Amino acid sequence: MNPTRDTHATLVDLLDRVLDKGLVLDADLIIHVAGIPLLGVKLRAALAGMETMLKYGIWQDWDEAQRVAATKEYRQKKMAPTPEGEVATLGHKSARTGIAAL
Amino acid sequence: MENRARYIYGVAASARTASLGPIGIEGKEVYTIPYGGFCAIVHSCPSEPYQSGNEEAVKKWVRTHQVVLDEAQRELGTVIPMGFDTILHSRDDAVSPDQLVKDWLKEDYKRLQDIVEKIKGRDEYGVQIFYAPGLLAKQISDESQEIRKIREEMASKSPGTAYLYKQKVERAVKAEIERLAGEWFTDFYRRIKGHCDDIVIEKTKKADKNRVMLLNLSCLVAREKVNNLGEELEKINSMKGFSVHFSGPWPPYSFVAKPVAPVKEEAK
Repeated sequence: MNPTRDTHATLVDLLDRVLDKGLVLDADLIIHVAGIPLLGVKLRAALAGMETMLKYGIWQDWDEAQRVAATKEYRQKKMAPTPEGEVATLGHKSARTGIAAL
Repeated sequence: MENRARYIYGVAASARTASLGPIGIEGKEVYTIPYGGFCAIVHSCPSEPYQSGNEEAVKKWVRTHQVVLDEAQRELGTVIPMGFDTILHSRDDAVSPDQLVKDWLKEDYKRLQDIVEKIKGRDEYGVQIFYAPGLLAKQISDESQEIRKIREEMASKSPGTAYLYKQKVERAVKAEIERLAGEWFTDFYRRIKGHCDDIVIEKTKKADKNRVMLLNLSCLVAREKVNNLGEELEKINSMKGFSVHFSGPWPPYSFVAKPVAPVKEEAK
């Protein structure tokens, strides 16, 4: 059988990938909403409605994944300091974002 | 005022400075920012994420994100996809947003190289396998000795007792399907894995009323092996009571999220 990219038949496949996956950037650099990285979370809410998200555990999964990722990153930073004492942040301290009012 | 942020669609393994035209989200001009052997595929935007309560608008954005990646792959070769709404933003007036993107490419260079090594010449495919319990029930109850036995006993019972036996049969069939599902899973997974360079087991989802999703996989497949995978899936798809959903090719979204090597600075 042949794979399909038919727009209607594969919309869910596309959303699963584009909203939940892809290369992740250093959290210091991407735009945040009050500390929440915007990896499509808002859009999931827009698409599925908050109730559905809670029902199917999307929110919990996301929250869990974020915690795990954050803990891991924190440990890596602690355990693998560079000669400069910094890991995975660019020189521009002011690039830290926090657009809390969004 | 100049836009202080860049929406990043992905990173291509190409040093080209290119304009891909006004194909971006909301018709934005998409261009590349090169550093070394890589270039980020971006458009210029204000320091705000794309958000909307309008489902159609969101779907359109997501499709556009994918269209840009398709076009970038055609123009520039191997592309590492970013997720939707990945926006880099500079608050330091001394650092231009394009420079910030370059700095990031420089910072993540080793990781990007490792990822490209892993995904080069390969695409991602989604494979979902479903079974229809209704269609499988008869065959299963014929083949199971235990269920056959219950049915034989049932034949000699009064209608009232036979009704209870019927329920017993249904329960036994359900249990047998659950047991077999484990075997099917192992068998299909092994057969599919043989054609993939990497594989991610995704959570199964609720399917429609008559079908149960048995297996939900993201597969990283070398271009020359896709036909083999297709043939294997065809065999499963033609089994009575089973169906396969085979989507792709996608950019390897599922194989770039985790660092392939620990992200730490090499000794310089």
